[in-house]
Amino acid sequence: MMPELFVALSPQDWQAIRLTLKLCLYTTAILLLLATPLAWWLALRQSKLRTAIQAIVALPLVLPPTVLGFYLLLLLGPHGAIGSTLERLGVSHLAFSFSGILIGSVIYSLPFAVQPLLESFRRMGAGPLEVAATLGAGKLDQLFSVVLPLCRGGFIVAATLTFAHTLGEFGVILMLGGSIPGETQVLSVLIYDHTEAMNYAQAHQLSLGLLISAFVVLFIVYGLNRRFEREAVL
Amino acid sequence: MTLAIQLTVKRGAFTLELNHSLPLHGVTALFGRSGCGKTTLLRAIAGLDRHAKAQIRCNDVVWQQGNHFMPVHQRRIGMVFQHSSLLPHLTVLQNLLYGFKRRLKHSAVQLEPAQVISLLELESLLQLQPEQLSGGQRQRIALGRALLSQPELLLLDEPLASLDQQSRNEILSFLQRVANQTGIPMLLVSHQLDDVVKLADQLVLMQHGRIISQGPLPQQLLQPELAVISAMSLLYAQSHGCHNHLLQLSIGKQQLQLPAPLSNTGTQTAYRLRIQARDVALSLTPLTDSSVSNQLQVSISGFNNAPHPAETLVQLNLEGQPLQALLTKQSVERLGLQVGQQVYAQIKAVALD
Repeated sequence: MMPELFVALSPQDWQAIRLTLKLCLYTTAILLLLATPLAWWLALRQSKLRTAIQAIVALPLVLPPTVLGFYLLLLLGPHGAIGSTLERLGVSHLAFSFSGILIGSVIYSLPFAVQPLLESFRRMGAGPLEVAATLGAGKLDQLFSVVLPLCRGGFIVAATLTFAHTLGEFGVILMLGGSIPGETQVLSVLIYDHTEAMNYAQAHQLSLGLLISAFVVLFIVYGLNRRFEREAVL
Repeated sequence: MTLAIQLTVKRGAFTLELNHSLPLHGVTALFGRSGCGKTTLLRAIAGLDRHAKAQIRCNDVVWQQGNHFMPVHQRRIGMVFQHSSLLPHLTVLQNLLYGFKRRLKHSAVQLEPAQVISLLELESLLQLQPEQLSGGQRQRIALGRALLSQPELLLLDEPLASLDQQSRNEILSFLQRVANQTGIPMLLVSHQLDDVVKLADQLVLMQHGRIISQGPLPQQLLQPELAVISAMSLLYAQSHGCHNHLLQLSIGKQQLQLPAPLSNTGTQTAYRLRIQARDVALSLTPLTDSSVSNQLQVSISGFNNAPHPAETLVQLNLEGQPLQALLTKQSVERLGLQVGQQVYAQIKAVALD
């Protein structure tokens, strides 16, 4: 029998929704800043390091999230290289904290931000930038007057994919953050907790919500992709 | 304007090594076969590629020396690329003004948008998107855009290479117009001698990564490397108007008559005459019973090997301008032609620019 839907969302549910949105927004913002120069370097520079970097960027695609979460826990936890350094500096270590799962999500979603940007930078090529430079545009000017408008599609797709992928993150967060309400208990984790506690109605409600929003986001991404491909053909 | 260039580039088996001073006025062609390093040199001048061993000065301004490297956007150059380079997200007008707006802050305006638009006949295209244009139109706009960035030097990287013949001729005549009316020095990279001869005043000849000669085009055409590709001559003539649809031209004291171009407006006073060496015949005395009416008195200044073993290129002096005639060795012997001898050159065909 299907569990009944539309029970009232508990304060805990609302807290998880807010936390999840916050994690998604922060991750997306940070990744756009990080992935843009990285994808740029991968697309336009010839370097021996490139293959290695490309493989590292793609790792989160193939690794089980538990592996990633496990190593991050080792690194960021109280006895890890980064965690213990932070403790010595009088700052708390990062395991079981929002900052910790934010770092985890940034790494976990990296390929989803880099790939679409890389693709659109490659499609643009160095040509338009050289043209702009010969016409008197400096680097920053080129970024705003050429790269952003020409790679608009890549940026939008990168942002939405990152957002959607972070929305569905589970393994890394569970390993690294546990399930602390308001700190690390995001929707996917809460659904797991509800299910464990046999609260099927609440689990179903949140699951359906995630399912629908994930579908909507992907629908938008593919729609945009089609539109930008058409533009590129023209 | 003078460009002083010291440049060493090694890329696999290819080495480019230059130490030259290029005086640039009018149109200078950078000519050589594909892969000889023309584009590499042009990109180094523009600053698009930074080579470790390079020293580039433009007049008194150092563009590159040691650790000093003036970035592309600060060099006062305009560049037209081989392939369509219009920014696809901008309209034609926005493309035209892209460089103009950016250079406006730093330099006095020599060329106004309205001037360039009428010079290149762009009026009807301004509101279009680049993808709506033909290849020739795109290059015309790229040229206008480069001009509007107020350059002190125009760099043209095979701007005709991706165009069909009709568009080539069109762009060539616009380039001539730009050269004549703006006076901005142009450096034109090309591997098509035909294009070069229509447009250039000077020629820099490159081979295997080196500059092997440079100088005024008419004299450069005598270089064996060019004669092998196409033995021809370039003469400068003055026009004295039309008579019976025949253009009355003079070279020094000598006269020529040629069918006037149908588009002739009668305003042009100086013409460039392209003459294939095989269209020039020689005789010891003036011919009176021949249909060839353009007959010029010349003196023989030398002999050169022709590509075919049975032929010789005879170099002639026509009122100080060089002219070449392609004759069989047999004819040269039969007439007993020698350096210094006065002979008559019959010119059978001329292309006018």
